[in-house]
This record gives sequence, structure tokens and C-alpha cells, in this order.
Amino acid sequence: MTTKTPSKTGRRVRLWVDRTALFVAAVLIWQGLSGTVINTFWISSPVLVAERLWQLAVSGALVWHASATVWQALLGLLLGMVVGVVVGLALHVLPRLAEAADPYIMGLYSLPRIALAPLFILYFGIGLLSKVMMAFSFVVFIFLLNTMQGLREVDQDQIDMMRSMRASRLYIARKLQLPSMLPWLFSAARISVGLALIGSVLGELLGANRGLGWYIEHASGRLDTTGLFAGLAALMVVAVLLNQVVNILERWAMPVR
Amino acid sequence: MVDHATAAATSPAPAAPVRAKMVQASKIYTDPAGAPKRVLDRIDLSLAEREFLSIVGPSGCGKSTVLRLLSGLTPVSEGRVVVGGEEITGPPKGVGFMFQRDTLLPWATVSQNISIALELNGTPPAERKGRIAELLQLLGLSQFGDYLPAHISGGMRQRAALGRLLAYGPELYLMDEPFGALDAMTKMTMGRELLRIWSGHEKSVVFVTHDIEEAVSLSDRVIVMEGPPGRIRSEYHIDLPRPRDLREVRKMPEFRDYCDRIWSDIGYSG
Repeated sequence: MTTKTPSKTGRRVRLWVDRTALFVAAVLIWQGLSGTVINTFWISSPVLVAERLWQLAVSGALVWHASATVWQALLGLLLGMVVGVVVGLALHVLPRLAEAADPYIMGLYSLPRIALAPLFILYFGIGLLSKVMMAFSFVVFIFLLNTMQGLREVDQDQIDMMRSMRASRLYIARKLQLPSMLPWLFSAARISVGLALIGSVLGELLGANRGLGWYIEHASGRLDTTGLFAGLAALMVVAVLLNQVVNILERWAMPVR
Repeated sequence: MVDHATAAATSPAPAAPVRAKMVQASKIYTDPAGAPKRVLDRIDLSLAEREFLSIVGPSGCGKSTVLRLLSGLTPVSEGRVVVGGEEITGPPKGVGFMFQRDTLLPWATVSQNISIALELNGTPPAERKGRIAELLQLLGLSQFGDYLPAHISGGMRQRAALGRLLAYGPELYLMDEPFGALDAMTKMTMGRELLRIWSGHEKSVVFVTHDIEEAVSLSDRVIVMEGPPGRIRSEYHIDLPRPRDLREVRKMPEFRDYCDRIWSDIGYSG
């Protein structure tokens, strides 16, 4: 599929040139507007933000804050995945329970999760756990619903094909249902990475003493727009990197699709 | 419309041992509204060892349901289904099913797909590779063992599915319009392939199709169904010489005669 013909490589190079050019143009416009059309107080400037990021990186603060945000998100993601998949499997095996639970699951799913924050802070404090649970509350439904949908979409003829050869339930689960579900699980993971970060940062905005969300909130309180934009930039990089990790895992687990 | 009584030609029972039979077998589904719906009504059917039987009939007459009952994938509602001398309650040993769709696993190569049947019939791992190579050779797929289903043609996919069926090594082949989705040319080639393989092993085949010419050209016996509710309307013993050349056999006047009779039996007399 990825045969390296010259024209394809050429297109890739051009694409990256285009992307870099777009980035540079946006930064230049930002820099140009800053301090001339719009007061630097409101939009800071790329140079100031880069300086701040550098300082934060050198002092170790960047890693200190980013690692907190990422850990909370990852732990919430992992917990949400495990619980979501297990409950999804259970509901698939117990259709009667699934039917009964459906309105409640959809009700919880529709609940604005931010409204749970006060409860989580009350229960879990302002440390790691409340953010993990916040991320979890966003992620768990995505995995639950995708697991159920993925199991429903397994080709019935393929199940019958295996049954006709007297395959055990475990064999069918291992050789057919799990591989059939992988795309659903990865699509859940892709959506969930962003959601877990939202949960993690949301938790930090509402009460924390570290993390990129806390840093942004802190900067805003001191009218430090440079710090605010630096925090946002760092968050964006973190989100992009996490998405890349999912992409790599996906290519590794499903190389042929 | 053809008169029932004249069409229901009774035939002498085959002398060979019975591979599978259905005794007063009915299938009743519950439709979405909750009402019982009889899709098969008291089917009596007996299949001899080494017999090639086709079932034709209009869509919805329950011919696929007959196959599902014989395969044990769907339990019978009333009556009995006996395969290999034993009444079945689930998929019995030695029965292979082939669908209209290839049902190959899309993430597995042709070889890996065939390997599944070998795993399931208990072929020792050491023998699988050789057996796969044999089957690929037999089906003209030698160069395509490492291809994914998405990267080969529909005809080749169905051929790979046939390879998987052969790998499983059943005594009874249940084939539900296996070539129904193929173009006329590929269909003919596949039919020829099937006959060649069948005449080498002489297993029993129940072949469901809506193509009357296909049924007559392949089979020893053709059953015509009607419905719903599905019933056997008539049956025809096809006394055409074997081995058959699928193109030559179609030129024979007897062949045309069988087809005409079945056509008019189904109700296409104008």
C-alpha cells in the first residue's frame, strides 16, 4: 500500500511544506497583530509565548504540569476502557439486563459530566483521583457503547460459519468477535483520548495544585495572557502526541485495514 | 398454475445408505408482532450417501431454512432431523456449510482462512501447511495464499471459501446459493470445479439455488419447493450421464426437457 514511488514521496514533502508554511503564516500574523492592532495584554505574542515555554521547560515546570495532566488522563482512559468494555460485554451476554438498563445508561451518558465535578471533589479531594474520575466519567460510556455496537455488528454469517464447524464460544470470541470489534475499540480510543484530556483539565480548572489546566487557570487569575497561551500550546501538543500514540497502536494492531 | 397432484411425482427410495433425513420437520418463527409464522411445513426429505441434491423454488419458500435445519444452526420446531444416523440438536460432526457470501475473515489471508477449518477439524499443526498448499493448488489459488480477501476477485474469494469447506472435510456439504453472487462465467467455472471435486470424493451435497439450469446440470435429484409455508412440491431424478461436462450437458434434449418441466412446475408457464 505504501509503495515509495517518487511522486508519492514528492506529494508527502509538498504536504509538509504546505503545513509548515501555514503554521509560519499564522504565527507571523499573530506576531504582526500583537502590539500593533491589538494590545499585547490580550493576545500576548508568539515570541513571548515561546520564551515562556522555554523557561518552563528549562525549570522543569513544563514536565511537572504536563505529566500530571497526562497521567490523570491516561489513568482515567485506562479505567474507563476496562470498565466500559467489561460492562459492554456483560450487557451483550445479558440482553434482558441491557434492555432494562438502556434508559439509565443513556441518561447518565447525556448528563453534563461537568456537573459531577463538585461530587468528585467532595469524594476524592483535589488530588489525582478526582481528575482520574472526571476523565473516567467521560470515557467509560464511549467504550461501553462502542463495545456493544461492535459486538452487534459482528457478521452473523461468519458466526454461523464457525458454529457450523463446531467452534466453541471461546474460539468464536477470540478468532472472530474480538478482531471484528477492534475498529470499534480504536475509534472509541481515538475519541476518548480527547475526552480524557478534557476530564483531566476540567478537574484541574475546578481545584488542583498542579497540571496544565491548573497553570492556565493560575495564569488567568494573574492576568498573565502569555502564561495562558503557553499552557494552551502545551495542551495542544500533548493532545496531538496522544492521538499519534493511538494511531501507532492502531496500525500495529490492525495492519491490514 | 400447475395442478398439484400431477406435479407431486413420488419416487422410489434410493438404495444407498442415508446420509441425512428430515422427518415431518417444521420450522415456526415468531414474527415481530409476536404471531407464530410457519416457514417450513412437515418436510420429509432423505439424502443418500454420495447424492447430489438440489433444492429450487421461489424466494421465501424456505429452501435456505431446510439447509439451516440440516446444519443444526437453527433448531427444528417440530419433527426430526437426522444426520449420520443421529438426531441432531446442534451443528453435527462432518457437516460443512457454504454461504452465498464468502464469509472469509477480512483480516486473515486466504491461507489463514483455510487454516481455520483445519484448526476446527483437529488437523495437527504440522500437517496444516501441506494441506493448505494442496487445496490452494486444487483450486488454482497457489499464488494467492498470502492475499487478503479484499485484494482478490469475488470468484476467487468464493473459491477460497470452497477451499475452507474442503479443508474442513465434511461428509455432507450444505451449500446455500454458493455461486449466486457470481457472474455467469465464473458461476459455470465454479460449478465445474465443484463437480470435479465432488466426483473425486463423492460426498453428499445439498445445493440450494434459484437457478434451475444450474440445479439440473449439477444434480442427481432436484427438489422443487413452494411456499410459504415451505413444502416440497415435487422432485425430479436427473438421469443425465456422469461425469458431466456442464456446457455439453446443457445441449442435451433431456436437459432441456427437465428444465422445462421444472419451470412449468414452478408456475412459469405463462
